[in-house]
Amino acid sequence: MKKAYLEFVVGLFLAIGIGCLAWTSIKLARKEFLVRNGYEVQATFSNAGGLCSGTPVVIAGVEIGRVKGVRLEDYEAKVHMVIQHGVLLQKDTMASIKTKGLIGEKYIELTPGASDETIKPGGVIRDTQPEMDLEALIAKYIQGSLAKPDDKGQPPH
Amino acid sequence: MKTLRWLLVAQLAAGSSLCARAGEPTAQIRATTDKILVLLSDPALKTDARKSERRQLIRSELDRRVDWAAVARSSLGRYWPKRTRAEQDEFIGLFSRLLAETCLDKLDSNGADPAKIDYLGEKIIDDYASVKTQITTKDQTVHPVEYRLQKAGKDWRIYDVLIEGVSLVKNYRDQFDEILGKTSYEKLVADLRAKIPRETP
Repeated sequence: MKKAYLEFVVGLFLAIGIGCLAWTSIKLARKEFLVRNGYEVQATFSNAGGLCSGTPVVIAGVEIGRVKGVRLEDYEAKVHMVIQHGVLLQKDTMASIKTKGLIGEKYIELTPGASDETIKPGGVIRDTQPEMDLEALIAKYIQGSLAKPDDKGQPPH
Repeated sequence: MKTLRWLLVAQLAAGSSLCARAGEPTAQIRATTDKILVLLSDPALKTDARKSERRQLIRSELDRRVDWAAVARSSLGRYWPKRTRAEQDEFIGLFSRLLAETCLDKLDSNGADPAKIDYLGEKIIDDYASVKTQITTKDQTVHPVEYRLQKAGKDWRIYDVLIEGVSLVKNYRDQFDEILGKTSYEKLVADLRAKIPRETP
């Protein structure tokens, strides 16, 4: 009885392990499929804010691509993305870097524009919005509130 | 949004200083800023009797530099092509009036605050350019402001402004997206009308 129970537990763990492997394989294959079967566009951000290869690209919360690579060019972050075929991006589409929650995963959000023209494969998303630097904003707020000008209108020394 | 508007006004109302790698887009932004500063500091135009004249003169300078149609079209985003030509024209009129009147109201209430603007550089790709500036306010707080411009003939005209890295167009595009997702275009237009200051013609 005890031996049968032990074999059952081992079998269960094995099944869970195989299930995890299958799930990972499907996820990776999907990502690879997306990267191979899309078209590439580029965007330049003044601050990439932790983007890396594999970062999701979404429209209206739906994943439509992935970041293929990020590199420094002229002291700015040039981001290469692969977008699913069939998803057309207007020339004035805007790309912005977002975070899921306060300390969550980074992603690129594309907001569709109004232009009649679309971005061709290999083209550039011209309008970008970098990630909000919360630390800098908080520091500015704190410093700003402390560093009030004196009564004569002069800045503090 | 109020902070964004305030900073936009601060950019227009502040004094200019350093100019690094100034090209045509930077020169045109600087020229518009300087003209508005002259109008704001002109004692003859500060009287109540000439207040509307001053507003009209500043509005003319804004009209020359800002491509209101591009700002409105891009802000409405994917909903723009769904509107008729007449509706698009009406939207440009309403939205530009809202932005301009808000800016003029802030200028009237704040006046020309003495501060420093550093022109940090510009980037031109084909017919598009960005001009990066940095405003230092009286309390020594630094605010980055980036203008995005499109070439129209010899002029470079603004189609977006990023203050502290936040895009004006993106901000409105998100708001319009949310409103139009929940209600109707007619409601959005009614809201815009309601927000335009009543005393303006």
